[in-house]
Amino acid sequence: MIPLPFAQAAVPRGIGLAEWLVDVDTWLGRDGILSSGLDTVTLCAAVMGTGMLIAVPSAALLAHSRRGELTATALVTLGRAVPTFAVAALLVPVALRRGWGFEPWPIFIALLLLALPPLYLNTYTAIRHVEGGVVDAARAMGIGERTLLLRVELALALSVIFTGIRVAAVQVVATEPIRAFLGGDGLGRYVRDGLGQNNDTLIIGGALLIAALAATTSVAVSVVERLVVPHGVRRLKQRTAARRGSVG
Amino acid sequence: MTECAIRLLNLTKRFDGEQEPAVSALSLDVPRGRTVALIGPSGCGKTTTLRMINRLVEPTSGRIEIDGEDASARPVAELRRSIGYVIQEVGLFPHQTVSQNIATVPRMLRWDRGRIDERVAELADLLGLETEQLGRYPDELSGGQQQRVGVARALAADPPVLLMDEPFGAVDPIVRTRLQDELLALQERLRKTIVIVTHDIDEAVKVADNVALLNIGGKLEQYAAPDDLLHSPANAFVEQFLGEDREMKRLALKRVGDLPFERGPVLDLGAAPAEARALLGDARSEWLGLTQDERFAGWVPRERVDTAATLDALPRELPAAQVHPGSTLREAMEVIMNSRTSVAVIDDGGRFGGVVTLEQIRSELARRAS
Ligand SMILES: Nc1ncnc2c1ncn2[C@@H]1O[C@H](COP(=O)(O)OP(=O)(O)OP(=O)(O)O)[C@@H](O)[C@H]1O
Ligand SMILES: [Mg+2]
Repeated sequence: MIPLPFAQAAVPRGIGLAEWLVDVDTWLGRDGILSSGLDTVTLCAAVMGTGMLIAVPSAALLAHSRRGELTATALVTLGRAVPTFAVAALLVPVALRRGWGFEPWPIFIALLLLALPPLYLNTYTAIRHVEGGVVDAARAMGIGERTLLLRVELALALSVIFTGIRVAAVQVVATEPIRAFLGGDGLGRYVRDGLGQNNDTLIIGGALLIAALAATTSVAVSVVERLVVPHGVRRLKQRTAARRGSVG
Repeated sequence: MTECAIRLLNLTKRFDGEQEPAVSALSLDVPRGRTVALIGPSGCGKTTTLRMINRLVEPTSGRIEIDGEDASARPVAELRRSIGYVIQEVGLFPHQTVSQNIATVPRMLRWDRGRIDERVAELADLLGLETEQLGRYPDELSGGQQQRVGVARALAADPPVLLMDEPFGAVDPIVRTRLQDELLALQERLRKTIVIVTHDIDEAVKVADNVALLNIGGKLEQYAAPDDLLHSPANAFVEQFLGEDREMKRLALKRVGDLPFERGPVLDLGAAPAEARALLGDARSEWLGLTQDERFAGWVPRERVDTAATLDALPRELPAAQVHPGSTLREAMEVIMNSRTSVAVIDDGGRFGGVVTLEQIRSELARRAS
């Protein structure tokens, strides 16, 4: 048995949820919500950053050269089936044996596997679905392959790529709390500690915090999307949505 | 004069894994400043031929010369920028406004802002696009307008060569006719070297100076001016492709204004009745046409003329069946068929411009255009 190195959040039994949430000590300090939340956000950001760096360029290049159909299909299947908790758990002994320490490599890799399929698939399909005529016309005008990929294909795929980013980010944020059960901390600690102490306030409070962070993440991605995606691309998405809506 | 801008020499394309070549040993000269139509049944290699000209498809063998220079020796991007290409699907960038679309090639060529704006405005004017439409997105335009933007984009950097792959395939017949007329007017001004692909023989003979008829496998069956093609098809395949009403199609190619002037049984109101009787006798006509101040004034039946003391007092019958110098002989024929006098009067901007008779049309058809 491996000794668990984390400190338990010490909360007196019987304290109410509202009372717990408004207490300054709940938020500040080494074990406070802000510090734990920052842990979670940092890890999730690292996972998403790495995921995007891996998935978007590779999917874009393969889709552009019309290859990688099999990878895409395989990922669809895999993406639905990755047991994140099991993967992370299995990686713990591996990480320890290699001297990487308890944390956060197993959870990092498990979350990365969770994030890659939506990122890769959305990028890949969006680029493959750019109208053949548009690509043809671009080539016929002497637009180089690089410019074609960046200015035309990726630009047109941007909205769908952002949808992939949003899905992946929300999943990652919502799943990251399992880290607390694998020797780490982060926002999941409250649920874990609540379970350990049979303390409903901690369990419910912790769950609410996780849900709130996931919702915030979704909104944050949308805000970034608005800032990054050019008007001409954004209106296409709105038009598609409007058309779908009118059809039913 | 008939210097060739594009020369295809023994051009063959065999796609990987295909048994039969898509294009085989095709040789074709496209004269500078002229329009050549590629036509033939579906899958006969029209698009492939067009794509080989700007190297979207590399030929398996044979050669393409543009302005006497081997196209494969030129850098591909530079070659393509000197050739405007209108693809069948139009392929406008959906995320860019009309003016951004039109400015694509000039932007690549790093023209300065002022010059680009000027050029976009000029092209909008040339193609009949409203200034207000320039800021719109392609999906806010009708099919015909999108086609115009596609042509404007292809013409943006003023390339000497224009390739068009079924540019009017996706629009309704009325818009299609209008776009064809606009292309003719445009070509009148710009004198580009144009290769246009089409399925439609009427379109081909209407817009092209020369028509290349291909068979499956990209085999050239006949290359001729529209009138020659219609008048003397080289073989049974061509004949069948052209259809039953070849002579009627030829009539649609010729204009009333191209006929030699024919005054017909027409006199000024002030002429002597005796002169009129002599004219009607010679012309064996049942009707006398009268003009006043060089304008056509109406028809009088022969029996009235026979007993008249002066011509100007005779009751005249209007309206005369009228055509214009720009009318096609096909239109003229329809007018004649519907006219009691069997003669169509040519209205040349208000003035009497002579007449058209069935006999004139018949002899025009018999005369093989050079
Ligand atoms: N990239 C390709 N790979 C393999 N075969 C091709 C390719 N492009 C065209 N072909 C084949 O070459 C032949 C000629 O095709 P092409 O598109 O040039 O015909 P087309 O005359 O333009 O026909 P349509 O009138 O239907 O547009 C066809 O049999 C087609 O299937
Ligand atoms: Mg074609």
